[in-house]
Amino acid sequence: MIHIENLVKRYGSFVALDHLNLDIQEGEVFGLLGPNGSGKTTAINCLLALLKYDKGNITVFGRQMHPDSYDLKKDIGVVMQNVAVFEQMTVRENIDYFCGLYVRDRNERQKLVDEAIRFTGLEDYLKMRPKKLSGGLLRRLNIACGIVHKPRLIIMDEPTVAVDPQSRNRILEGILELNRQGSTIIYTSHYMEEVEQICSRIAIIDHGQVLATGTTEELKSMIKTGETITIETIHLGENELDGIQKLPHVFDLTYEDQVLKLRLSSAKHNLIRILNYLQEHDIAFGRVFSELPTLNDVFLEITGKELRD
Amino acid sequence: MIVFKGFLTITKRNLHMVFLYIVIFLTISIATQKLLEPQNSVSFKPESLNITVIDRDGGELAKGLASYLASYHTIKDIPDDKSILQDRLFYREVYYIATIPENFEEKCLKNKETLPVTKIPGGSSGFYVDQQIDTFLNGVRILNAGGFSVKDAAAQIIKNAGEIPDVTLIDKTGHGGDIPGHAFMYQYMPYIIISILCYTLSYIMLEFNRPDVKKRMQCSALSARTLNLQLFLGYAVIGLVIWFICALMAAIVYGKELLTDPHLPYYLINSFVLTIVALAISFFVSSFLKSDELVSAVVNVLTLGMSFLCGVFVSLEILGKGVRTVAHFLPVYWYEVNNNLIAGNRTLSSSQMTELCQGLIIQLLFAAALLGTALVFRRNQAQSEG
Repeated sequence: MIHIENLVKRYGSFVALDHLNLDIQEGEVFGLLGPNGSGKTTAINCLLALLKYDKGNITVFGRQMHPDSYDLKKDIGVVMQNVAVFEQMTVRENIDYFCGLYVRDRNERQKLVDEAIRFTGLEDYLKMRPKKLSGGLLRRLNIACGIVHKPRLIIMDEPTVAVDPQSRNRILEGILELNRQGSTIIYTSHYMEEVEQICSRIAIIDHGQVLATGTTEELKSMIKTGETITIETIHLGENELDGIQKLPHVFDLTYEDQVLKLRLSSAKHNLIRILNYLQEHDIAFGRVFSELPTLNDVFLEITGKELRD
Repeated sequence: MIVFKGFLTITKRNLHMVFLYIVIFLTISIATQKLLEPQNSVSFKPESLNITVIDRDGGELAKGLASYLASYHTIKDIPDDKSILQDRLFYREVYYIATIPENFEEKCLKNKETLPVTKIPGGSSGFYVDQQIDTFLNGVRILNAGGFSVKDAAAQIIKNAGEIPDVTLIDKTGHGGDIPGHAFMYQYMPYIIISILCYTLSYIMLEFNRPDVKKRMQCSALSARTLNLQLFLGYAVIGLVIWFICALMAAIVYGKELLTDPHLPYYLINSFVLTIVALAISFFVSSFLKSDELVSAVVNVLTLGMSFLCGVFVSLEILGKGVRTVAHFLPVYWYEVNNNLIAGNRTLSSSQMTELCQGLIIQLLFAAALLGTALVFRRNQAQSEG
């Protein structure tokens, strides 16, 4: 459905997109995951022909995307990172306006607007102006304006920034529902939990490059980390730390603020082996956590830095 | 027509502000015009005062002066007693006492001594009598020098005293030589039209020019051409409505006087062209303004500055040469030149018609230049964003 090949975008000497390649299939919820400034929004802006790029090729629905490709744009819904609505229009007027940019027929438009209002749960706020809405409601209005014309492809650029958890869950459920209804979704975020929760395939981006692409499982299987064990303990000396480091499958160890964090490759009985070691050496310990690898671990291992850095 | 509809929706939200501005500006303009308008005063009406002439000379010249003053004023006979005279003056029975001294002819005519007079302190009416005494004495002096005897000279001046010359003003304007009241309204109109349009359209365009909204619209299936055409239509409708309201207000305020003026079509055409200029100015201003706070400041400076420089508040004739030279580079100046031409002539000659058309064309050229500059700025801005 979307093919991006060797996309390069420079701002002076700064390279925002460095030979970016992406392939997105119809029916996917495709996540673009990367820290702030990694090039997610730039990639989206190039895809929508809002930005001119220096090199590369973008095709949408099998055709080249240009600023005047209005027949292609007709099937694309956009939910911008910043809320893009008219402050002097009511909720309903805004949704109707943005629907009208795609649908001329008034009756059809009215039907679509009503559906979008129901879908985003804005029925009780129709006559309110955006200024009177909470952050969560405003985001929902932004989404309603983006999806109202029932597009084949929906691009959502960090739609949950500064949204409360309740509204965030509602938005994420809505996105999955849109996907079930047949829309392909491109979802950019720097929240790995969100991407992990809703995306069928993910591309990890940093410095304008795609570092890895695949399903959550595929991405996790790419890395060495099979398990992360965190133990609260005091009085760990050099010798004890050396001993733990030498245990089988342990490949990374940090001890800060009386918290021991171990990363181990995938194997059976990792946790039991560690606890036995602590008992044998009379090392007192408090809470113990064992976690499977997350996308943050994937990012950490690929880039050497945390996703939230 | 969704953009046009949206434009009107936002206009509707700002309607209270539009009407507020209309009421404020029209009230100020009508009040100012009424103050500036020449009053329908009768030019001069002679006043007759109660005066007293104390004749201590008794000669021909003294009698002549008394008769001369009697032809303008009522002479009250009061005894030549200082305290009585002061009493009468105090109680305003008389306003002026002229005392003709002995040897009047010698003292006042030949030696040009001042005639002793007593007036009400601080009163202005006495100046009029002073002037008449001077006129009489100067007249006698001139005639006397020309060979008339003092008696004949005085008689001649008394004879001419009551005669009023017949003066007829040429009615160049068709309104008794005066500039008609509605011309002042049209003189003031640029301030109203430009202010209202700049305020209203700038606030509306702030919504459309917000970067996120603009970007969102660029993502849509609506072509840039359609978007601009619909915005243009919105501008045109607002411009027409404001122009119509202003023209209607002028018709309501000045009624028959304006409606029967043969120059009414010229006033309407000139103000319509000005409305096009005002729309171009509004578009130009709204292209640069990014926040509500700036709108008020910029629009005020622009409209007031242009109004003061171009003869909106102060007539062009009164403005200095330097100011007028600067004003040539502003569109409102050409509107005012046209307005003066229309208001100041009952009929327009062919050369005046040519001048009028030139004024209209220059205004349209200004509009085109402003529009062009704003479009170039917008295109450059879009390119730099892309």
